[in-house]
Amino acid sequence: MPTSVTAARQFLTEEATRALDEAVAVARRRSHAQTTSLHAVSALLSLPSSSLRDACLRARSSAYPSRLQFRALELCVGVSLDRLPSTKSVEDPPISNSLMAAIKRSQASQRRHPESYHLQQLHSSNNNNANATGCSQTQSILKVELRYFILSILDDPIVSRVFGEAGFRSCDIKLALVRPPVTQVSSRFSRAHCPPIFLCNLTDTVSGRVGYNLLFPGHEDGIDENCKRISEVMAKKSGKSPLLVGVCALDALRAFTESSTKGKSGILDGDLAGLMVMSIEKEVNELVNEGNEEKLGLKLKEVEATLEKCNESGGVRGVVLHFGDLKGLILDVVSGDFVSHLVLKLAGLMEVYRRRLWLMGAADSVEIYRRFCDKFPDIEKDWDLQLLPITSSKSSFDGAYPKSSLMRSFVPFGGLFPTPSDLKGPLSGRNQSIPRCNLCNEKYEQEVDAIMKTGSTVSVADQYSENLPSWLHMAAVDTSKGEDVAKTNAGESMLSAKVLGLQKKWNDICQRLHRTPTFPKLDINPSMSQVPIVEGPQFSTDLKQRSHGDLSVNESLFPNQSPSRQIHMQKKFLPRSTASISCTSEGRNMNFHSGLHMDVPSLTQQTNKDMPWFHHPRQSLSSCSGRTHTSSSFIPPVTTDLKLGAIYASTSQESDTTKLLNHKEHLQHLSSSVSAEFDANSETTSYQFAQSSSCSGPTSGEQFDLGDYKSIRKVLAEKVGWQDDAVNSVSQAVSQLRHRYQSSRGINCKGDNWLTFLGPDRVGKKRIASALAEVLFGSQECLVSLDLSSQDKVDHPNSIFECEELNSYEVISRGKTVSDLIAEELRKKPHSVVLLENVDKADYGVQHSLDLAIRTGKFPDSRGREIGINNMVLITTASITKGNKNVICEKKGMKFPEERILGAKNWQMQILVVSASDDAGKSNYTGVRVTTVKEASAYTSANKRKLINAVESSELEKTDTQEGQHKVPRSSCLDLNFPVEEADEDDTGSGESKSELLSESWLEEWLSQVYKKIYFKPFDFDGVANKIVKEIRLQCERTVGTGVALEIDEQVMVQMVAAAWLSDKKGALEDWVAEVLGRGFAEAGQKYNVTPQSVVKLVACEGGVVKEQAPGIRLPGKINLN
Amino acid sequence: MGYNLLEALNVRVVGSGDRHLVLAHGFGTDQSVWQRILPLFTPSFRIILYDLVCAGSVNPDHFDFTRYTTLDPYVDDLLNILQALGVERCAYVGHSVSAMIGILASIRRPQLFSKLILIGASPRFLNDEDYHGGFEEGEIEKVFSAMEANYEAWVNGFAPLAVGADVPAAVREFSRTLFNMRPDISLFVSRTVFNSDLRGVLGLVRVPCCVIQTARDVSVPASVAEYLRTHLGGRTTVEILRTEGHLPHLTAPALLAQVLRRALAR
Repeated sequence: MPTSVTAARQFLTEEATRALDEAVAVARRRSHAQTTSLHAVSALLSLPSSSLRDACLRARSSAYPSRLQFRALELCVGVSLDRLPSTKSVEDPPISNSLMAAIKRSQASQRRHPESYHLQQLHSSNNNNANATGCSQTQSILKVELRYFILSILDDPIVSRVFGEAGFRSCDIKLALVRPPVTQVSSRFSRAHCPPIFLCNLTDTVSGRVGYNLLFPGHEDGIDENCKRISEVMAKKSGKSPLLVGVCALDALRAFTESSTKGKSGILDGDLAGLMVMSIEKEVNELVNEGNEEKLGLKLKEVEATLEKCNESGGVRGVVLHFGDLKGLILDVVSGDFVSHLVLKLAGLMEVYRRRLWLMGAADSVEIYRRFCDKFPDIEKDWDLQLLPITSSKSSFDGAYPKSSLMRSFVPFGGLFPTPSDLKGPLSGRNQSIPRCNLCNEKYEQEVDAIMKTGSTVSVADQYSENLPSWLHMAAVDTSKGEDVAKTNAGESMLSAKVLGLQKKWNDICQRLHRTPTFPKLDINPSMSQVPIVEGPQFSTDLKQRSHGDLSVNESLFPNQSPSRQIHMQKKFLPRSTASISCTSEGRNMNFHSGLHMDVPSLTQQTNKDMPWFHHPRQSLSSCSGRTHTSSSFIPPVTTDLKLGAIYASTSQESDTTKLLNHKEHLQHLSSSVSAEFDANSETTSYQFAQSSSCSGPTSGEQFDLGDYKSIRKVLAEKVGWQDDAVNSVSQAVSQLRHRYQSSRGINCKGDNWLTFLGPDRVGKKRIASALAEVLFGSQECLVSLDLSSQDKVDHPNSIFECEELNSYEVISRGKTVSDLIAEELRKKPHSVVLLENVDKADYGVQHSLDLAIRTGKFPDSRGREIGINNMVLITTASITKGNKNVICEKKGMKFPEERILGAKNWQMQILVVSASDDAGKSNYTGVRVTTVKEASAYTSANKRKLINAVESSELEKTDTQEGQHKVPRSSCLDLNFPVEEADEDDTGSGESKSELLSESWLEEWLSQVYKKIYFKPFDFDGVANKIVKEIRLQCERTVGTGVALEIDEQVMVQMVAAAWLSDKKGALEDWVAEVLGRGFAEAGQKYNVTPQSVVKLVACEGGVVKEQAPGIRLPGKINLN
Repeated sequence: MGYNLLEALNVRVVGSGDRHLVLAHGFGTDQSVWQRILPLFTPSFRIILYDLVCAGSVNPDHFDFTRYTTLDPYVDDLLNILQALGVERCAYVGHSVSAMIGILASIRRPQLFSKLILIGASPRFLNDEDYHGGFEEGEIEKVFSAMEANYEAWVNGFAPLAVGADVPAAVREFSRTLFNMRPDISLFVSRTVFNSDLRGVLGLVRVPCCVIQTARDVSVPASVAEYLRTHLGGRTTVEILRTEGHLPHLTAPALLAQVLRRALAR
């Protein structure tokens, strides 16, 4: 809040008050809403005996005539004042906060200087005498003298910028203000522990730097801090060769050598005076890159000669040898010989001329130095090295300042929104571009053009204006950023309107996005008056900045703006939709449905789907379902579907089917239109929604609908026949969930849409999840599936499960954590079943996100954006079970453990027919053999083989045929398996295992939070395998003839078992055996003369991926013949 | 000199324990930011509090624009204070920029620090090719121009953003201390901070570190904590606080104190 003028006056002395009054008058004349520092400057300059003017006169650069410079100053002040928006004229424009802050600052600084305080005391006592009334109140207030007032006004960045534009340095002015007229001040400075800022740069001429950088005089001519520290190191007795470490180290090194060769004072003086800097950087580079040793040799000779000539008395006293980046010396591009030669050579020089030679270099990071040390262990002593961490470079520092004062002069927000009340934070100005992310842009780009042509904007605007009153109402109630943002937007649109020719598309979108919602009727014309009268170049620079910003906003992480906007929108819609549901309970649902239906498509059409508020219909729906407890039906797809469940349960079956279809249609329509347009915005949409949800009452007991339960169970059991118990408990959990949705509780309470599937059978878990997606959301597409462990796995090349992985971590790009990845997926499919596999392997970031998500109902990504997850059913899986050990024991009894099956590949199969005599030493065995190759010992093959041999209830027999050529690819496939991985983890030592422990304890905690734990049984792979073998044998006997020995490669076996596991259809494998394999056998039988001595082998073609697949199963559609 | 420094930077030593603990505040705050943490540790530690030279509570005349161009002079200040107090070994808790300062100080005097606790630390705020610091250079320039243009508006916008969590008192407190800084100084310091890059030197740290990061921090992305953990040379643990914002000591002092206590016990 701005301060009233009278309130401000009491802080000022008479003289200063006069200045302030003058400033107020200036503001009033220009009909500005507030009196700012700029007004004060303007007033101070125009005062008859202006001390500011006087100071400027003394401080000004001699390069220009004084009149000209003052003229420039007045112009600059005038222009800056012109930029301020004018309002209705106010009697006494109150003091802006920034000016008030300046007054407070001057008070503080005055308090710090006792001598002036004393003066002030006198002054105030005079005052009291004069007033005679003894105003005890004001006595306690420190009155600010004009001088301090001016000084602190000059601190204001806006002011110093204006002065800078006119070629003044505000610090010079400050100095001039403080110095000559008041003599005691300088004595004060001499006492001061540190020199005050304005003492620093009198020495240099001002003219060269006019217009730059007035706030920070120091870094231009002062000694660079880095250089100073380098010198410090060099001045030491031992460890005097600085090795700069840090990302900016090389820059700092260059800056040092540059300035020291230029002979800048303060770098190499005192003890280090007379040193000569020589650089072999170039030569070293040549040596490393091209192996060119000659030049380096020459240069080193030169160095040595110089060193020899050095003497203590005068001239060159020593040499600083600068070898540049250490990275060059650890690269082994050309043989290390040259390098080690060089290193030794330098060490030798160091040995001889220890007192006269300094080495100097830079390394990007400590790791490089470590590697260097590994190569040359004694290097630190030999070279007398001292590590010097460098954290910033001078050059980057310089680069941070804009070079042209013109560019600085147009600060987008500064000019247009100077008054604090207008703008809660300039940051929001930046954030506003968030909705304009790439995603939107792509979509909008085409659409926008269409709108432009057809003029549908008008209808959009009209439609919007209907809503406007309510919005305005809301805005008035909560005076928040929304409005400000809108204003900023308007301002932006002014700019962009002015430069429509350039950057047309971008700004169009931005206008549309930002302007339309709030000022539908806003035109370009009214804004013209406020556009400052500055010509072309500045706009283009500004534009550049803007466009740069546009490109980078995607990465920006300031979530604060969108929520506020979204919440606005939501509020706005709330009354409307509430109204629409307040009809009788009977027709309510239907009405609601249809009404909404009318709404959504029509909106969609009119807006051409590209308005940011397109999401609001959906949003309003969810918000009203949150608020009005009646609407069990509408958290769009989720709850609608739940409603279906209710009907299903309560009414008779026949009548339902039609309704069901009907609803489904609606549902799909709605969800497709909604989710298609879903973009980054929507992450915030459920924000409020979730909040309201948290107020909803606790869940009722564990009741559920039997009918619902049965129907779900039926669907699930169809998909995953083998997991009876799991299916039962999943369907129970889900129907409970549904029950709660429909029992007018509104939204679920925290965490109860979380399930955990524990135990083995990965495919089964996934299958159930996708079946759930179908049951709950109408389509298997509504499944988001992520494997949290796959980050530390190697790629499975050609895995049979490949197509099954909906999302693996193909690209974890820069800065993207796994949480981000998950968040992204969630954003894409806001209504879905989310399957997070191997939650026990999740890294701590994900763990944390999950923790938050289950507690708050919002999934945060690493940048803090949140995605509402209350409309989802989240399933985490972990391979552990209650009795972890039991499973392992069980595993031991199995021929085909799950890990082995998971390693299955999608190879083409082949039938070989060999005569039994080829198989040396094998007896003529007419059964079926499953052969395997000997595996690498790392794998648990030993016990496995033994175990497999132990189980011989069927005709299976396992033999070892050592096929060397199979070894390599095979073991690479096996590496992916579980046991090997575990071994790896053990190797990595205590740190890892600690984190393992941590994650275990986390998992326990996690499991205690989820709504329901469901245990899965292991899939009966062995049973399936036996069945397959039987099946194949029958087939073989049928087509080829009895008495023929059949050998099935174990790899093929695994592949088939995996396929059976994966296949949706029952009996798909049997069909495949009958058709594909049968055909293969038949062809083989025709082609070769199969005798009872023959062995028919079914093997995998290593490296040959299946080209055509059999229908219904993930196995080759054709078997190759040899 | 030493005495002057202690006076200028408002150094305070409180508490009655055997071990020394330095609490160093971050950008935009001053030592008062620790006031809610302080009572929980005074029984067991001798706590050293000081203000960074850029803090609003320090006489701005002490801020030498020619000197404080990198973080090293801040490190000098810290080490000088500890020397003047005769501290031989201490644990160090640093927030944001002070975390950076602590890292650098521990590189220079590894034996001085028994433990570094880094709250909301980041070795570099700007993004780089394969590093995500959270800020693009262009954005930063915009922030700077916004600061230049209207400091107060910037403060009002920045404070709630940085505080993150919905704790009005914390926002007020942070706004107060942030606004106390002279605008040109805060602008200068933030430039210094944003130009700093500690990534190359993290490996030089030998002191065990504990990185405390809130679940959601506008200034420091979560990946940074992980980066610190993998790159810091000493034994490093990461603690994620179940709260939001860049200033957990303002918004969730009890939670932070709990984690601090645990970290200090290790």
